[in-house]
Amino acid sequence: MSQTFLLEPDIIAATENVMPDLNNDLVMAKNFLKQQSAATGDSLYDHLVDVVHKILSQKPPDIVDQFEQYSWEVKREKFRPNFDLLNDIYLAPPQLAIVRRLDEMFRLIASKNQKLEDMGEEEQELDLEEDSTKARVADLIEHNYYFREGGYGLPDSECYALYIALQMLAIKEPVATVRFFGKIYGTRSNYYIAETDLTIEELDRRIREFEMKDMPGEGEGLEEAHPQEVEEQKELSDNTEFHKVGEGEAREEKPKEPVPPKLPPEPVSTWQPPPPIPVERPGQGVNRKVYWVCSQPGEQWICLPDVTPEQLRVARLTVRCMTGDLDAEVLTFPPFEGTERNYLRAQVARIAAATSVSPQGFFTYGSGEEEEDIDLEEGAGDLAFNPNPFYQGHTLKDLLDPDLTYWVHHGRYILKQGRTLWWNPNADMEEGVEEEEDEGPPPVAPELGPALFTSLAEDARVEGVRAWAARGSSALAAERALATLRSALWPGAVAYATTGKRSECMYIGWGLKLQLPNFSPLQLPRPQDEYLIGPEVMEMADPTFADEEAYRIAHLPPPPPPELPGEGEGFGEEEEDED
Amino acid sequence: MNVHKLWEYREYVNINGMMLTSELISLLQNSLTLLQIENHFTHVQYWGQLYAIDADYHIACGITGDAIADRKYFYTTDFKFWGLLPKPKRKYKLLSLITTFPFRGDPALKIKVLDEALEDNHPDKCRLMKEESRLAATISNISDEAEICARGQLIQQPDGCVVINPNYYGLTAPEAKLLKSYLHIRQPQQRWNTNLLTRQDYNYSMDFLDSIDQDIPSGCWSLSLEKSGSVAYLRSLYWPGMTFFHKVRTPDAGFLYVGNGRKNMDVPFLL
Repeated sequence: MSQTFLLEPDIIAATENVMPDLNNDLVMAKNFLKQQSAATGDSLYDHLVDVVHKILSQKPPDIVDQFEQYSWEVKREKFRPNFDLLNDIYLAPPQLAIVRRLDEMFRLIASKNQKLEDMGEEEQELDLEEDSTKARVADLIEHNYYFREGGYGLPDSECYALYIALQMLAIKEPVATVRFFGKIYGTRSNYYIAETDLTIEELDRRIREFEMKDMPGEGEGLEEAHPQEVEEQKELSDNTEFHKVGEGEAREEKPKEPVPPKLPPEPVSTWQPPPPIPVERPGQGVNRKVYWVCSQPGEQWICLPDVTPEQLRVARLTVRCMTGDLDAEVLTFPPFEGTERNYLRAQVARIAAATSVSPQGFFTYGSGEEEEDIDLEEGAGDLAFNPNPFYQGHTLKDLLDPDLTYWVHHGRYILKQGRTLWWNPNADMEEGVEEEEDEGPPPVAPELGPALFTSLAEDARVEGVRAWAARGSSALAAERALATLRSALWPGAVAYATTGKRSECMYIGWGLKLQLPNFSPLQLPRPQDEYLIGPEVMEMADPTFADEEAYRIAHLPPPPPPELPGEGEGFGEEEEDED
Repeated sequence: MNVHKLWEYREYVNINGMMLTSELISLLQNSLTLLQIENHFTHVQYWGQLYAIDADYHIACGITGDAIADRKYFYTTDFKFWGLLPKPKRKYKLLSLITTFPFRGDPALKIKVLDEALEDNHPDKCRLMKEESRLAATISNISDEAEICARGQLIQQPDGCVVINPNYYGLTAPEAKLLKSYLHIRQPQQRWNTNLLTRQDYNYSMDFLDSIDQDIPSGCWSLSLEKSGSVAYLRSLYWPGMTFFHKVRTPDAGFLYVGNGRKNMDVPFLL
């Protein structure tokens, strides 16, 4: 045997030879390696073969450093369970649901476009009318392009789907203009929010509905009903009081039952709620725009209800994250009336009021028919505005001016009342004089917010610093640069303006306002006094033993013979009762 | 986020509306590659951006050997000069939490911090702090609480050295839905076996870090799967602006912080 190593058949043949030599050792070792593990039925020999095979076929770099992991992976691959029964079942990719929805949306838009095209071919002279019936959708893709240039915006995939979704909104719902407002994150899912103006017919319908539901006289009626109820309650409680006393007297004969002490009448709350601030009607003030929301492009857009001043007041006093479920409960103090959809609407109203900014002159007071109506009703202050056709743009230097004098607000300031138009609570003095007595002097100074198109230079400051930061988009390509503006007060609110005629603002964030140093919840109101202050409810020091002794000695009956313990105790009890 | 992959990641990162622009990515890649060569880093990561009044700070992180212990943070405002951040002092870490004043953009600026918890005549009532120290302290605070990675992205070698896993293949879709699959990048604060004992498929080389499902209160991380379930996003409520993304079943993952450097103390009210 001149060969050092043998082929396998030779080795097997050689096993019969048990003399100690190299081949025998090899055979022994190989047999050992080929031992099958009882648990897995695998042997190290096969495993090594597989590992080496995998390494040689895949040729990963620096294999020696990750050899363990390779070995582990080979093992894992071997133990892939064999679902024979399910072999024929095709598992759809998880994207299926979303794709279905998107596909439906795309089909709808395509069919609509096709229809419009056909109509256009047939009656070209009716183009003008068509324009008036078709909603104007702000070009999100173009705006997003500029936002992206400035370092903000949405990813392209999201942006395109959203643009189509906005088109769908314009087709399906009675809206005249559509604009993308922003995105608000929730803990479970996010909200995309579209800002729209309703068509005139729909707006009229909603105003009629609003007036039916909320007649101006009704609020006062409720007001008056309240004191009556309170009085009734008082009477009721008095009655029960008498009853109790009466019962007590009737039971007097029963032994052991302690006589209930004569209780003072139950306290009645004297607090009266302040008159409710009327809601601004649809198409006016905070409810001028109608907001639609969906959590995925392609889903049905859901209309958010109009916001009430009360909701705005509470939203200002609380912080809360959106959950992503429109019907989620809102647990706050002070209590919030409504579900998350109302809360979302209130936050959107606040954000829209605070962060709608544009370069000076971008918008101008327009002259529409609606505006005159409003003027007649409510006086000035709620003028409509439209893009200024004569806007020429500002230079980048002006837009980036740290004083921000070239940027103005075009969101209406929401007053403390929760309205944009001040409502005079004393407007109907004749009926409600008594109610107002405790309110102070009847003429209340009207609240005034900054006017529309006030420059950002006059904004409130955060820690003595401007609430907006202006940045140029590019230092290298100066001719392509545009200005972006970022709000510090509402993190996530941004706006851009090119040196040309483009400008837009957007909000992407949690819907939380920056509060420095941090949020502190509203204190509970002071408890009301239940009873009038008098000796019965006043706090005073307990009499000491010495006092009681002195009292007892002073009041001792003149005849000394037997002491009357009952009397002394009686006095003591009375004193305790007074406490 | 790995600086050399910013072009691929730019479509996935969206932090409160902020997205990476082409110019920013180009500037970052150029200057950070130079920084990497100068300092002989094995990895350079773009850490994020801190809003300041005059000029925003951009932060980068260089890794030499150990991916947890040997991290060096750099800052710049103009991409020309990257300054090494000093080691954060505990004093400044506490002070930076109570500073409400926004960053100015000037590292040499000295600011006064008033500790309102102390009495009027206390000598430590008013402290001076350089903005550079504050920056270092803030970043250290954020790193400790909100820097995260997916499970398996960092592995501990038998010699105790932690490295970025070169053969990382990403989480599977069911795994990506669990908060347990995401770990804090910091020296573990829990006992070494806490994480090992709470999972069945434990792995000594992966589960040596704290998982984020133990953070208090539960819900302080918002996990969402977007782009039809193919990308997992984690947003921190404590540090608004800290976002982690992971493309399911791919090695692409990273975090980025963009914000004003203030911790949100209102989290218990938010949930």
